[in-house]
Amino acid sequence: MSTNTTSHPSSTGMGLRYSGAWLPAAIAAAGFLALPFGRPGRPFLTIDPDLYAWAIGHPLLWFVLVGALAALVISLLKLPTAPRGDLLIGAGTVGLGAGVLWFLLTATPFGMGALVAFAGLALVIGHALSESGRVQGDAFIATSILVVSLFVLLFIIYPLFMVMRSAVVVDGAFDLSQFRRTITHPLFFFLENPRSQIDEVGLTMRWGVVVGLVSAAWALFRRRSLPLVLARLVLGGIVGLVIGAMMYGRGALPTSLLTVAIVAPACTLLGLAFALLGQRSSFRPVRRSLDVISVLPIITPPFILAFAMIFLLGRRGIITHGLFDLSVNWIYGIPGVAIAQILAFTPIAYLLLRGSIASLNPALEEAAQTLGAGPWTTLKTITWPLVRPGLAAAFLLSMIESLADFGNPIILGGDRNFLATEVYLSLTGRYNPNEAASYGVVLLALVLLAFFVQRWWLGGGSFVTVTGKPSSGALAPIPRAVEVALTAVLLVWTVFVAALYASIVVGSFAQLWGVNYTFTIRHYQDFMRAGWPVFLYTARVAAISAVPAMLLGFLVAYLVSRHRFWGRRFVEFGSLLSFATPGTVMGVAYIFAFNTGPWLLTASATIIILALVFRNMPVAIRAAVAGLAQIDPSLEEASTMLRARSFTTLRRVLFPLLVNTLVTGLIFAFVSAMTAVSQVIFLVSPGNQLATVLLLGWVEQGQLGRAAAMGTILIVSMLLTILVVLALAQRISARVVRVES
Amino acid sequence: MDNATTVIKGITPATVDLRGLVKRFGKDVVAVDHVDLFIERGELLTLLGPSGCGKTTILRLIAGLERPTEGQILIDDDDVSRLPAYLRDITMVFQSYALFPHMNVFENVAYGVRVANRPKEEIQERVAEALAMVGLQDFAQRATNALSGGQQQRVALARALVIRPRVLLFDEPLSNLDAKLRKRVREDIRELQQRLGITSVYVTHDQEEALAISDRVVVMHEGVIEQIGSPHDLYTRPASRFVADFIGSANFIPGQFDGQVIDVLGYRRRHEQDITPGAVTVMVRPEALEFAREGESGFEATYLSSAYLGPVTEFIFDVSGVEVFATISGSGISNAERGDTVLLRFKDVGVSLLPPG
Ligand SMILES: Nc1ncnc2c1ncn2[C@@H]1O[C@H](COP(=O)(O)OP(=O)(O)OP(=O)(O)O)[C@@H](O)[C@H]1O
Ligand SMILES: [Mg+2]
Repeated sequence: MSTNTTSHPSSTGMGLRYSGAWLPAAIAAAGFLALPFGRPGRPFLTIDPDLYAWAIGHPLLWFVLVGALAALVISLLKLPTAPRGDLLIGAGTVGLGAGVLWFLLTATPFGMGALVAFAGLALVIGHALSESGRVQGDAFIATSILVVSLFVLLFIIYPLFMVMRSAVVVDGAFDLSQFRRTITHPLFFFLENPRSQIDEVGLTMRWGVVVGLVSAAWALFRRRSLPLVLARLVLGGIVGLVIGAMMYGRGALPTSLLTVAIVAPACTLLGLAFALLGQRSSFRPVRRSLDVISVLPIITPPFILAFAMIFLLGRRGIITHGLFDLSVNWIYGIPGVAIAQILAFTPIAYLLLRGSIASLNPALEEAAQTLGAGPWTTLKTITWPLVRPGLAAAFLLSMIESLADFGNPIILGGDRNFLATEVYLSLTGRYNPNEAASYGVVLLALVLLAFFVQRWWLGGGSFVTVTGKPSSGALAPIPRAVEVALTAVLLVWTVFVAALYASIVVGSFAQLWGVNYTFTIRHYQDFMRAGWPVFLYTARVAAISAVPAMLLGFLVAYLVSRHRFWGRRFVEFGSLLSFATPGTVMGVAYIFAFNTGPWLLTASATIIILALVFRNMPVAIRAAVAGLAQIDPSLEEASTMLRARSFTTLRRVLFPLLVNTLVTGLIFAFVSAMTAVSQVIFLVSPGNQLATVLLLGWVEQGQLGRAAAMGTILIVSMLLTILVVLALAQRISARVVRVES
Repeated sequence: MDNATTVIKGITPATVDLRGLVKRFGKDVVAVDHVDLFIERGELLTLLGPSGCGKTTILRLIAGLERPTEGQILIDDDDVSRLPAYLRDITMVFQSYALFPHMNVFENVAYGVRVANRPKEEIQERVAEALAMVGLQDFAQRATNALSGGQQQRVALARALVIRPRVLLFDEPLSNLDAKLRKRVREDIRELQQRLGITSVYVTHDQEEALAISDRVVVMHEGVIEQIGSPHDLYTRPASRFVADFIGSANFIPGQFDGQVIDVLGYRRRHEQDITPGAVTVMVRPEALEFAREGESGFEATYLSSAYLGPVTEFIFDVSGVEVFATISGSGISNAERGDTVLLRFKDVGVSLLPPG
């Protein structure tokens, strides 16, 4: 070995003299000895002498210590790097496995000692995986892969597994009867209503026959083969039956499906219209106003518009009652929920479609036309295939949002029940966890079905890359008449939404909405007393959750887009699941997963923070993937070649170049944590109340004034946060970039 | 690189030994297929081959940016196959230079020393030294995008040298430069490499570049080494049609060899080469052909066309069904007509034998 005066202190030319795993191994051993391994109940920081590992004295626990100490000794031995890594993997796995096994066997809630010991051992394995050469990358990468996979397993896959298990396991035994009872219950679905005048079953049948015949006739008209015509007959019949069942049936399933069937197409079409206007409108203010519209859903809790609709269209609504002197109830039920959802989710569809419309290169259409294609052919062969992925993504997302939506149906559902609300009501109203799990499974199945249908239709593609690159060519204007019509739609929309938002502000200052409109700050006083502490607590929890959500999202994006490793598919799939799973389902899932045993976490701030972290991680992943795509990977390789470890590379190369993306990701994680409701409503507890949940409660109790005050404060503060932080981010990244020019 | 006296202290060049190296991507792509290669201490070895033949992959395997599917990589007899890249004492100059856009020239060059946590004075000293070596002393505070392509290239080189690597890897470092600059920079690289005596592996698909700067050249084809040798060997004694064709241009004429004499269509010429006697393919460089003068023997060729290029004329002949290209100085047979028969002979150098086929 030649002498090399310049290499690191810990290396002898090639290889490491000792393993970096010594430190985590020592920490694991120290944590094991100095801190209690278990805890008696919910609080983390209690020190119960009986729950020290040496007091418990279970043989499995000694293996944890042996594993940690063995790892410590091995890492200091003078051995070749790779075989030493293999030994360390063994030692770490023995320690970790024994500890996990003990928890599984005894179901003791884990304590600080276990947390420290397990974290240390995981770090030991991470170092060892890298040093043994089994994972390509350094200790940081290997540990990150390990930790991220464990997180996905523990906080995404495991809770979902527990929901499914709870639906079909009763008292520890596999039993489908509960599940069957739930889905045959009238709350879930029933068709024939003996008290109604009409014959629901007959009407549904008629729908089946008519749609079946029409689709078969169409196939005949197109001169298809006989088997195909028959297939169309059957398929059309089924579709007709489903339509009929949705229209005449009652219960959560047909109600939710009918709402989706109204909301998803409406959002997609409106989103498309706005995207067309936003990209190609000849009128600048139109394009500007769309920028505002696209921010609204981010800063607004999803149900705030439903709440505002009570002000405008409710029994004492300013339009219905004030203008027309009506006292009507029609907004309670599917129409109201559908309108509220369309208002809330169209901006999301618009954001997705904006990318695809922007990537439509007018030159392509012109090229097609010069090749002799008429406008119709051009639309079919050029434009449609290019917009199709965007439309599909927008449709899917509106569908998922509508199915998963909890706040709007709870406020405006009236006598109709929805799948997402039933999950909640069966757990907290009827105290039937099994029923809640069953509803959760149905909801999850519907969402995943939609996902896989979309994948199949589009033929793969990643959910992270549905955005397009804007083209540079001049944009073809939309036909005059179309533009006028679309602008009119936008105008109506804008006026309506503005009126809704204004009504919240006005309502927060009015004595009693619909009765007495004199100015008062009474509601703000009420809010300060009953809501302010909760608001502050929420802000704190949201801020605490935003940082790990962003870091974890960035880490996942970095690992998945820059490294090849075993389990990469699993991590991708896990983050996809956490993105697609309805919040209500994830909410009950966390209840089932973390209510007993080693994972006792419910009724704590910890579980709310964990839920928010994994809920908002996908947003950060998308942002980081988009940011990373702009950076040439050879910059990172150059850094590695200059002997920087990957953490140094992240800190010195990627972070400075991605400041803007990261801050944006952070702020969106914070804001969406502030406005989330469907998942956390299951996890709040006395002392751990959240602003949106409280707001929803006030609306339900009819305390509309103080609810409006809280809504106003929430919206204004989120808007300010976004504006201030984004301006700040611009400044920071400008400073970073200034060196370049 | 005018400061010819600066030498970086502390570079101890290493040998690199690749044994049975295989790299597969997925199931079907075999980018590197059982490569054995020993790289001497202090030599500049070039990997040359057409696009997609696996040159970059070999480089990245040596660097540790990819893991081999099979086989070993030894650096000074240490097996580093499973060692992460940052522990290998190897560095690389990238095709795109990969200069950090948010750092100026000084910071870019200082990066490798800085992440090794060296004291401030040492960083200053070593960066100054490295910049002086590439002649960029006065550019330390420049932003990297305010440099010309050639200057960026030299910053990349200084940044690599500052960490005193034991092996230096270049992946097509000149492909972003214009032709004229390319020639100068490659001479600079060669001069610096020889002065520092640093073991270097250089990837290019430009054969002229490879011949000009290398101690030895490895010609690759579809993941396999076709031939290893000095530039002179490769040109005069190619081991296969592929090598002969890839390096320079070549004619392949069927002939006979009895161990001492080549026979092409009755034209006999002494030749020394260790090859199985019998039917052979005679590889003739275009410039190794000339017209047989009065009384000299030669083989018959049918004149097809010619192009006058000043110092030489390019001819195309038909030799018993094979198209043969020749560059012959002087005007030769300026008044020849298509279909005329001429007598050609070989010059002393530029003729080599390959197995038949
Ligand atoms: N990450 C990868 N995944 C899959 N295939 C790869 C990957 N990297 C390289 N290949 C394939 O391996 C083969 C060799 O690639 P390599 O980059 O080594 O070629 P090269 O000789 O450097 O070519 P060029 O002169 O074009 O740079 C190619 O067929 C390439 O497509
Ligand atoms: Mg290459």
